[in-house]
Amino acid sequence: MAELEIINVSKTFGQSKVIDNVSLTVGAKEFVVFLGPSGCGKSTLLRMIAGLETVDEGEIRIGGKRVDALPPGERGVAMVFQHYALYPHMTVRENMSFGLRNVKIAPAEIDRRVAAAAKMLEIEHLLQRKPAQISGGQRQRVAIGRAIVKEPHLFLFDEPLSNLDAALRVRTRLEIAQLHQRVDAAMIFVTHDQIEAMTLAHRIVVMNNQRIEQIGTPMEVYSRPATAFVAGFVGTPCMNFAPVEITGASPFVTLRLPDGSMLETRVDRKALPEGGRFKLGVRAESVRPCATGEGNCSGTVKFVERLGDRTLVYVLLSDGTTIVAEDAGMSRIAIADAVGLRFDSAGVHLFDDVRGYHAAEGA
Amino acid sequence: MAAGSMVGRTLSDRLILVAVIVLGIVMVAPIVWALGLSLKTNAELMVDTSSVLHAPYTLQNYWDLVIGSPVFRWFVNSMIVSLGMTIGVLVLSSLAGYGFARLEFPGRDIIFVLVLFGLAVPEQAVIIPRHQLFSELGLHNTYIGLILPGLSTSFGVFLMTQYFRAIPREVDEAAMLDNATRFQVFWRVLLPMTLPAQATLGIYTFLHAWNDYWWPLISGTNAQMYTVTVGIASTQINFAESAGLGFLMAQAIFAALPILIVYVFFQKYIVRAVSGGAT
Ligand SMILES: Nc1ncnc2c1ncn2[C@@H]1O[C@H](COP(=O)(O)OP(=O)(O)O)[C@@H](O)[C@H]1O
Ligand SMILES: [Mg+2]
Repeated sequence: MAELEIINVSKTFGQSKVIDNVSLTVGAKEFVVFLGPSGCGKSTLLRMIAGLETVDEGEIRIGGKRVDALPPGERGVAMVFQHYALYPHMTVRENMSFGLRNVKIAPAEIDRRVAAAAKMLEIEHLLQRKPAQISGGQRQRVAIGRAIVKEPHLFLFDEPLSNLDAALRVRTRLEIAQLHQRVDAAMIFVTHDQIEAMTLAHRIVVMNNQRIEQIGTPMEVYSRPATAFVAGFVGTPCMNFAPVEITGASPFVTLRLPDGSMLETRVDRKALPEGGRFKLGVRAESVRPCATGEGNCSGTVKFVERLGDRTLVYVLLSDGTTIVAEDAGMSRIAIADAVGLRFDSAGVHLFDDVRGYHAAEGA
Repeated sequence: MAAGSMVGRTLSDRLILVAVIVLGIVMVAPIVWALGLSLKTNAELMVDTSSVLHAPYTLQNYWDLVIGSPVFRWFVNSMIVSLGMTIGVLVLSSLAGYGFARLEFPGRDIIFVLVLFGLAVPEQAVIIPRHQLFSELGLHNTYIGLILPGLSTSFGVFLMTQYFRAIPREVDEAAMLDNATRFQVFWRVLLPMTLPAQATLGIYTFLHAWNDYWWPLISGTNAQMYTVTVGIASTQINFAESAGLGFLMAQAIFAALPILIVYVFFQKYIVRAVSGGAT
């Protein structure tokens, strides 16, 4: 059953539309990540679900019940904020039990839930402390604990890891994944960090400019990006893009790269709409350096990034286009070398050059 | 170089220390003198005030003050007025500060600017119209009349507004998700977070109210309604009077007692108040 349904929801702040006709369904126990650049409306959408922002148009249902007119406390959701938002004058225990006391849950039950959550999060020894007396990572745990004790069916996280240092971020990310295994609830997690999205999500909702660009599993989003934006936003390094001309007869098209070299593909001519303008999108992992003259095109090495297990080679084509290719970790390629580039035809994507949608891909 | 700056620092530290000690003596000396005078019999002081420096000392003046004089009544008046004003200012400033910081209503920003203008209006400018207004309303010689003008404090509203504004809205929102009503958010979550500001504002208001002389002089014309400042001044018939000097000093010390207590116990907050909340 769907835990959350968002139906044609829009939101305007003053003159500017921040959420434009968004629809989305989240299943029970599903882990959904809202991914997108800063300012694209992720937090606003999350806050509308929580009841912290009003819904201008459309409706929101949680557990089948329409909630968009209900106050936040009555929606059965719990939220973890970016800056923790703990109550500084209350102890950790009081922070966690505040919400339960407000709905008159029996003290024994409150104690039981707080103890269980504190044990799970390993913060039992901190229960008597105030937020000022614990570290940032511990505060984040308390904030998560405050959400857990409510036993909600839907957790909302708004960039909860962005204030933690790198090591702690990775650890907390794993713990949130484990938490999701243990509790019987759906989770929505907002982030602008694609690694967090890829590692945590069942499904990723990629957002840009007030709209949803794509909804899909991490692998779908990575390997078949619905738009050029998604292709560029997800994955490091960023996907290579180049405007191309379509030539060649059926059944497969040949692409003329900006430097004039030709790239034969396995893209079916019939799959492409007539008369459109297209750009090529290909990830570094689908482009291999080779000896000059052997590949699809050639250029000079501008820059080499050694990542240990692989090496990224930035190659400048004769017209000034840069293509990033991937070589083995032990690559001998050096700056200023002349290299050829071989494209893996299965990794070739064509995007509509004007509107950005995914037009076709190689086989 | 490091050694040089060390010497420089200790030197300037010493200079500051000397200055602080000198200033401290200048401040404390009159109070100690007054305390000494208050412990001598009036007869002895009539002969020579330097008798302060040796025994016998007596508490007779304080005894007289508690038993037979109106000072005790004035002291109680001052207490009622100062505490009433302090509580009133805290309640009103907190509510107004919360309103300006968190509620959306038409004209909010304009009203806030008007409140700030209040900071620039000296009491002298309004005291005559206020006097007329209060006499028409029959508020002179009442506690209400003494307290009411002090309740409209631009400073307090400004301070509390800034304080509430500095609290992240996420805290309100977390409380709302925790099923707190708007009043609970204010009362149980935000207000406790403003305690340092409340303490600062409360002490500031109390000291101000206790030491105020002008408005109580105008409003409390009946000796029963004198505050301690007005009352003591009223016993001083002519300038540099030496009759009853010990008793007069006992009154002064007695009147200053609450102030001393406040300073001793709330020193931390007073420092914060005068340093503009910078610590
Ligand atoms: N309360 C508000 N009033 C006006 N504009 C807002 C408000 N909240 C957010 N916005 C605007 O809405 C857009 C989306 O904001 P937000 O949802 O916070 O983005 P994200 O979380 O994706 O970074 C931004 O352009 C932001 O400036
Ligand atoms: Mg955000």
